[in-house]
Amino acid sequence: MKNELARRFGLAMLLILGSAGSAQAHHSTAAEFDQSKPLQFTGTVQKVNWTNPHVYTYVEVKQAGAPPLVYHIEGGSPNTLFRQGWRKDSLKVGDVVTVTGQRAKNPESTNVGAATILTGDGKKVFSGDGPAKVAAGE
Amino acid sequence: MQRAVTMLLTIALQCGAALAWSASPAGPIARLANGKPDLSGHWANPYTPDMAAKGRVLDPLTRQPLTLTGQPLPDSKAPAAGGGVRTMDLPYTDWGLQRWKSYDPVHDGDYAGSCLPFGMSRNINSPHGVQLLQTPQALALMFEQNTWFHWVPTAGQKWPQDLPPSWNGVSTGHWDGDTLIVETIGFNGYTRLDTAGHPHSRQLKLTNTFRRIDATTIEHTVTVHDPKTYARDWMNARTWRLKPASDVVMEYSCEENNLDNLMNGTIKPWKAPEVDDEE
Repeated sequence: MKNELARRFGLAMLLILGSAGSAQAHHSTAAEFDQSKPLQFTGTVQKVNWTNPHVYTYVEVKQAGAPPLVYHIEGGSPNTLFRQGWRKDSLKVGDVVTVTGQRAKNPESTNVGAATILTGDGKKVFSGDGPAKVAAGE
Repeated sequence: MQRAVTMLLTIALQCGAALAWSASPAGPIARLANGKPDLSGHWANPYTPDMAAKGRVLDPLTRQPLTLTGQPLPDSKAPAAGGGVRTMDLPYTDWGLQRWKSYDPVHDGDYAGSCLPFGMSRNINSPHGVQLLQTPQALALMFEQNTWFHWVPTAGQKWPQDLPPSWNGVSTGHWDGDTLIVETIGFNGYTRLDTAGHPHSRQLKLTNTFRRIDATTIEHTVTVHDPKTYARDWMNARTWRLKPASDVVMEYSCEENNLDNLMNGTIKPWKAPEVDDEE
């Protein structure tokens, strides 16, 4: 009986440990993005591409004396986000958001990885916690 | 005396009931017409981007963690997947170590980012779930990852001997009691075992075992036998959980937005190596 309980505890721990971590699926974040180049900006949502293997949120940032820059914020897979309760319209065109993340290694790319997106009222959108926990402030 | 015997019998029955509950809290496993466990269901397979993470590499014979040096490999061509320096995290041969140190998908081409088949190992490691469908003759693994499938005959059927090597290999299954053993060979050598990029050669024999211990749980092991790449066999052990009925397998198209990333240079397209170092 003790052995059985120990085995089951071990299995539970394996499941918990095995389930932890980000939901990247097809490549490593370190491969595409530069950890040494963090960035933060505030802009308005231009569109949400609800596409595999990563959702991309397009955020337009105004620049003094230059055309606006549109960053493409890489998120999790739409299937994973859907299961967490997020939907394409969890962010709407025109929403003001603050993004923290890493620049792409390719200098010509405006992709942003390992990102968090905060809405004006401080909600972390498309995060692993899901909208229910985010709304509850957990 | 009769009362004492009755009490003892009652206690014994209660203990038996408690043990039975302990053994199968989620209910009994379904069985096929041939009496073997039915693995069918939509399963959450633990996402395993790094099969060599600390404590995860086991000795297949003892199921105890293998002792590995963990020596840093600063002359690796690229950093480890999560940042930092790659290490001697597996029992590499010289050939295997060279493959581990030289893996650089950013500059040399990323086969997974190019949406080419991930390979059997990396499919099993993927984060999105697997729909299993089983009959007495075969097991179908339907990976949500890129909507790929893999067919495993389990009743002694033979694959043609002259099938060309392939990304996912060819699998056959057989039973050892209630454990299904799936052996996969015939790889083309283009894939990696996991997102971290651990190598394998065409000599790889991947053995996955599946034992459904109750209605909602599968004990899963995967053993890597590849004498060209590894000086000894090693394994991972994991637990799969049945997903709730509300969680359905969904479509997944890698090309949907990776095509843009491949065309704009964010992901370097993969090409087959011009020099084949396994011939």
